[in-house]
Amino acid sequence: MTSFYSGPGFDFSNTVRNNFLQDRGLPLPKATSTGTTIVGCIYKDGVVLGADTRATEGPIVADKNCEKIHYITESIRCCGAGTAADTEFTTALISSNMEMHALSTGRKPRVVTAMTMLKQMLFRYQGHVGAALVLGGVDVTGPHLFTIAPHGSTDKLPYVTMGSGSLAAMAVFEAGWKPDMTREEALELVVAAISAGIFNDLGSGSNVDACVITANKTEMLRNFVRPNERVTKERSYGFRRGTTAWKKEQIRSLIVSEEVVKHGEAMDVS
Amino acid sequence: MFLTRSEYDRGVNTFSPEGRLFQVEYAIEAIKLGSTTVGVCTPEGVVLAVEKRVQSPLLEASSIEKIMEIDSHLGCAMSGLIADARTMIDHARVTSQNHAFTYDEKIKVESVTQAVCDLALRFGESVHDEDAMMSRPFGVALLIAGVDEKGPQLFHTDPSGTFVRYDAKAVGSGSEAAQSELQDKWHKQMTLKEAHILTLRVLKQVMEEKLDQHNVQLAQVTSDKGFEILDEVRLKALIDDM
Amino acid sequence: MPDGSFSHPQQRSFNPYTENGGTILAIAGADFTVIAGDTRQSEGYSIQTRYAPKVFRLTDRAVLAVNGFAADGNMFVKKVKQRLEWYRHAHAKDMPLRAIARLIQTMLYAQRFFPYYVYNILGGIEEDGTGAVYSFDPVGSYEREACRAAGAAQSLVQPFLDNQIYFKNQQAAPGQSHPLHLPLSDVLSIVIDSFTSATERHIEVGDGLEMYVVLAKGRSAQGLEGGRGVQELTTRTDGDRVFVIRRELKKD
Repeated sequence: MTSFYSGPGFDFSNTVRNNFLQDRGLPLPKATSTGTTIVGCIYKDGVVLGADTRATEGPIVADKNCEKIHYITESIRCCGAGTAADTEFTTALISSNMEMHALSTGRKPRVVTAMTMLKQMLFRYQGHVGAALVLGGVDVTGPHLFTIAPHGSTDKLPYVTMGSGSLAAMAVFEAGWKPDMTREEALELVVAAISAGIFNDLGSGSNVDACVITANKTEMLRNFVRPNERVTKERSYGFRRGTTAWKKEQIRSLIVSEEVVKHGEAMDVS
Repeated sequence: MFLTRSEYDRGVNTFSPEGRLFQVEYAIEAIKLGSTTVGVCTPEGVVLAVEKRVQSPLLEASSIEKIMEIDSHLGCAMSGLIADARTMIDHARVTSQNHAFTYDEKIKVESVTQAVCDLALRFGESVHDEDAMMSRPFGVALLIAGVDEKGPQLFHTDPSGTFVRYDAKAVGSGSEAAQSELQDKWHKQMTLKEAHILTLRVLKQVMEEKLDQHNVQLAQVTSDKGFEILDEVRLKALIDDM
Repeated sequence: MPDGSFSHPQQRSFNPYTENGGTILAIAGADFTVIAGDTRQSEGYSIQTRYAPKVFRLTDRAVLAVNGFAADGNMFVKKVKQRLEWYRHAHAKDMPLRAIARLIQTMLYAQRFFPYYVYNILGGIEEDGTGAVYSFDPVGSYEREACRAAGAAQSLVQPFLDNQIYFKNQQAAPGQSHPLHLPLSDVLSIVIDSFTSATERHIEVGDGLEMYVVLAKGRSAQGLEGGRGVQELTTRTDGDRVFVIRRELKKD
């Protein structure tokens, strides 16, 4: 008798089939990866997060202006690097759970809470959820900044970077970071760090997104700097009407005409 | 004179105190014993002609081969030790084919002549591990005729590895008389037909036997048809026209 | 277990090749040829340099573009140049374009079982004064064409060229036909647009653009001489002429 019981956690029933197909030369479909530069930095009054806006599929640019700073709560945001779907889904899920948590506790949720939920989820999935995150925000205990690696390990540091451009960005932080920076200083440093990733890491590119979080205000600075505007083409590539060849022409009327015949007594709707 | 030579004429790679390589000079002498060979260059193409010494009525004249094809645009006539020429022509053929293989173009007449002359001086004692080399200089002179992007050309090579371009050149036993005749009769606007007649007349003058289609060989290189040896029918027609 | 003992089978490997990105292309006109390449050289996600030329003047009438493994490419160009010089000494003339094409085939095929990891595109002027492009695979198969793109963004650029140069999938206006050759200004525009577009969508393309223009003997250099970023590289007068045009590309 077939069992319809489905146990908790992952369903691994397709792994044997997929491994077999891979051995036969059929590769798994490749996920869009945000070969990325994401950073975060604590300053005097809060946290600044930064991200580039390039999404890639192998060497091809899939999206020139994607959003990598995800909403968790009003004063907690999370930058995502790695598999695009995983970062989007994970942050959305945790965002949802954080809202539930806020509702049930009646308090503003804390950054550590989000961090704990994220690391527990990622650890449960043993790295198969490919999300590398920079989590930042301000709560009742002050500003906090974390990184969460795909396997679930976390770091708590005053300035962090992740993604393929993390080395380029970290170089900038190591050279320019100092404690108790002003909002302007911190934002400038974050922009410089993301720019280092954009120009020196092929996986990162296009624009700088930034997010400044303080105790009572969060500013999402979408496309804060746009150093890579598309240049205008030398020619216009409009095609003359009739350029595409066709073999036959068929014109059909899409109008359906219908005759309605009254039949019997009208229904009493009074 | 011979007394001084005897010291230095044995080694092929020994200069005499006067700065001469006797073996090379003797090789050049050997050519003067060869049958007369004539080449004439015209704007239409180059003509090569040789005398075949048919020493016996039993000898099959057509088996004497003194004009050979190097490539479709290159021909060669020889005088001296004919057997030696085979090595040189083999080298020329390989060089020409190699050039066509590597560059997808016909080799220049001068280039193939240079290649042959490079070989001419590779004699002496072979060094360890080297391929078999000639132990003595080649005893043959070549007239290399061809057509390339610079037009029809005629080159003369000798055993010293020297090559010179000529408008008309004679080598071999009757070369002295033949050369002065060529000098008198050759002119810039000569047609191919005139060149045919001239070479035959020159040969006729220096040959002991009566010239006929059996004891001479005539070849031409033109830009249209390349190298071709004239058959006896065409040869006879030309001789009749002389 | 690589414990130094011989109780287990061991295997070591070394891969001498790497891929350094970038893209090249060439388009032949009636009496000119344009050969172009970007100048970014990369390995993985890193930029090694923003200026590493991939296009080289060989003679006054021949230009070679090389793409793939940069070390092999540079060495190959060096050896081709050496062979051209030897040829010049042996035959007292510059090697004709089709002879260079054949030479490149023999040089590539000589390395049939340890190939130069490069795609070559040779462009220039033939003996008859026509523009020509020859494209090669890494082991020497070659063909004369009107246009060709190779390298990282080949799959982006070649369909664009097929459409704009060969007019593929474009029906001509009634009673008209597509031109066999485009004028130089149009070709240059198409080349620039190819590279700006490839830069937009391919991470390994960008930084700089070098376009070599070879003009047939006697052809007017109008619109080229004194233009922005134009430099003439011709060595001899009264023959074919070579120019290079340099442009910036996006650097992200």
